Amino acid sequence: MKKKTAGLIASLLGAALIAAPAQAQDARIALLGGITGPIAAMAPPMLEAMKLAVTHVNEQGGIGNGGKLNFVIGDSACNPQNATDAATKAVNIDRVIGVVGPACSGAVLAAANSVTVPAGVLMITSSGTSPQITNINDKDLVYRTVPSDDYQGRALARTIKERGMSKVAVAYLNNDYGKGLAEAFKDEFESIGGTLAGYSGHEAGKASYRSDLAELARGGADTLVIFDYGDGTGLVLLRQALENNFFKNFIGADGMRSDAVIRELGADNLETFFTSAPVGEASASLDAFNKAFAAAGQDPNTIFATTSYDAAFLMALTIEKAGGDKAKMAAALRSVSSAPGEPVMVGEWAKAKKLIAEGKDINYMGAAGEHEFDEAGDVPGNYAFFKVSGNTYEAIAEMK
Amino acid sequence: MELIGLANYAVFMGILIGIYALLSLALNIQWGLTGLFNAGIAGFFAIGAYTSAILTSPHVAGRVGGFDMPILVGWAAAMLMATLIAWPIARICLRFRSDYLAIATIGVAEIFRLIIKSEDWLTGGSRGITGIPRPFGDLPYVQSQLAYLALVVIAVLVVYLLVERQLRSPWGRMMRAIRDNEASAAAMGKNVEARRRQAFMFGSAIMGLAGALFVHFNRSITPEAIDPMIATFLIWIMLILGGSGNNRGAILGAIVIWLIWSISEMLTDRLPTEVAIQAKYVRIFIIGLMLQLVLRFRPEGILPEEHKKKPVPPGRVQP
Repeated sequence: MKKKTAGLIASLLGAALIAAPAQAQDARIALLGGITGPIAAMAPPMLEAMKLAVTHVNEQGGIGNGGKLNFVIGDSACNPQNATDAATKAVNIDRVIGVVGPACSGAVLAAANSVTVPAGVLMITSSGTSPQITNINDKDLVYRTVPSDDYQGRALARTIKERGMSKVAVAYLNNDYGKGLAEAFKDEFESIGGTLAGYSGHEAGKASYRSDLAELARGGADTLVIFDYGDGTGLVLLRQALENNFFKNFIGADGMRSDAVIRELGADNLETFFTSAPVGEASASLDAFNKAFAAAGQDPNTIFATTSYDAAFLMALTIEKAGGDKAKMAAALRSVSSAPGEPVMVGEWAKAKKLIAEGKDINYMGAAGEHEFDEAGDVPGNYAFFKVSGNTYEAIAEMK
Repeated sequence: MELIGLANYAVFMGILIGIYALLSLALNIQWGLTGLFNAGIAGFFAIGAYTSAILTSPHVAGRVGGFDMPILVGWAAAMLMATLIAWPIARICLRFRSDYLAIATIGVAEIFRLIIKSEDWLTGGSRGITGIPRPFGDLPYVQSQLAYLALVVIAVLVVYLLVERQLRSPWGRMMRAIRDNEASAAAMGKNVEARRRQAFMFGSAIMGLAGALFVHFNRSITPEAIDPMIATFLIWIMLILGGSGNNRGAILGAIVIWLIWSISEMLTDRLPTEVAIQAKYVRIFIIGLMLQLVLRFRPEGILPEEHKKKPVPPGRVQP
């Protein structure tokens, strides 16, 4: 069976070497999302945002000389097995020129390492936040429009140190999100002279975290930093810490900035609760995205919606700039995304197309930020510090 | 859709199928041959994967490693480690009857998963390990994939022949005797507990090898890969569908499941986008439905266990 397959493949390879691939006018990209699996609920809006970008491109002249931007959708299921399967299928069978996605850091690592980088295909992920992605030996082919958790953890450490909290305890959810933030936070906080009076991870879904909290409180800090999700374990942790008076101040990262926290605990009890969260730098581009996405019947505030749109739109700009040449993609992406250049906003495909045709340099200003990629293909994030105000969160300071 | 693309994808599928066929064969030794309900496949898969990853990956600050050993050493160590860890587990757990054993092994696998997620100094925690070398990884994409496929096919062939030989040897007959009637096997003077332990360790070693092959293929490993859904229950489905007790059935099960998974997607991708997205959920349903249908109409699996009618001459190992 296996031998036969191998023989078949060998003969197919031979045949394919003779037949040169035909160059089509249209360009095709893959949109990989975690459609099934643990983040299934988050996947549909992310895919909708990517599709909105494709719609904008095709409505305003498409790719190249009258070509269309086509896409295939793959399911990366938030695990390496399915992500490599979806990426291999996209790269080989659908012959895509670029991959937008996949979701989940483990899926990104596996798909990039074993499929897209060896095959020389550009990848832009909109939701892989693990600091490990920075370290992929990627031949300049892996980018992300979402900042690494590293940035947020460090920015949060600097912000709360500035606000006079120099002795804190940290509780983090033991997954790549929680741990990534916690490690960056710890590193930065200690290097600027803060003291960690407690530092521990916890598993999701336990009924009681009182013993974890008591252990953390023993260090004598009156501030607890929670890296967790506000509609999950983080809420339980926060409630139990408040009930038992373990800590006075509470700090969370973006996962904790959830309406569920206010709804369940009441704004009165949350006067000493602050969170950081990424903010699209208030820009005309973000407004344009919010309007267009709402018009498509979607909620613009969904997590990763802006980054997903930007990833797909950048991919389209890159294809246009590279003229559909796979080998020029990485250089083209850096050129269309970074300053200097004529600014291009969300939805301004016709303008961008014209500028590229005229040979002018452009600079995409995305909904989630300006996307000035660094050497590793990462973007710095924009974060703000929030407090609870009434039934919602109010930004009180920018985070540097 | 071009032929070369299809061929490349077939190579990838072959590699993945090969790795899962190894797991399925390993489970066949434990369940099909010996009747041990191991629901902790993911645990041994993980041990193999991480052992090989730690031994062969370059140094990273804050984690044990940087041994940069040859990949073959990593693979051998993966098998050895999985076997060694299987031993105490077998000593403790194999006294349980089938369903209790299942619960105990689920627990064991879960313990491994939590250790892997928490012990940063050893496994990189939830971020996992990256930068793992891949044999022939420096070749261009197509050649590198083909070379890896060859390695996986060799591994599957060797394991298949070994297991097949064991199955037909007196050892294999003894194992089936123990499985089918433990009391009478014990009455004939067979050391039931020791034999079951052997089968458990043998199977675990192969699971470890599969883990090692997987990790070098992906060049990275994170705890997401050892989720019980994809690293334990999927393999059970493969074995039951293919036919437990039959090694070719075990391999066939792996092939069928992955083909359903990918070919159904190729078909549904031709549908309009809205439907195509929903169809991806249906794939999981189809696999469940297949399992139900097989259990209902052909409980012995697609390729049932072979029962020898001819008596085997004494003292001779049948080929």
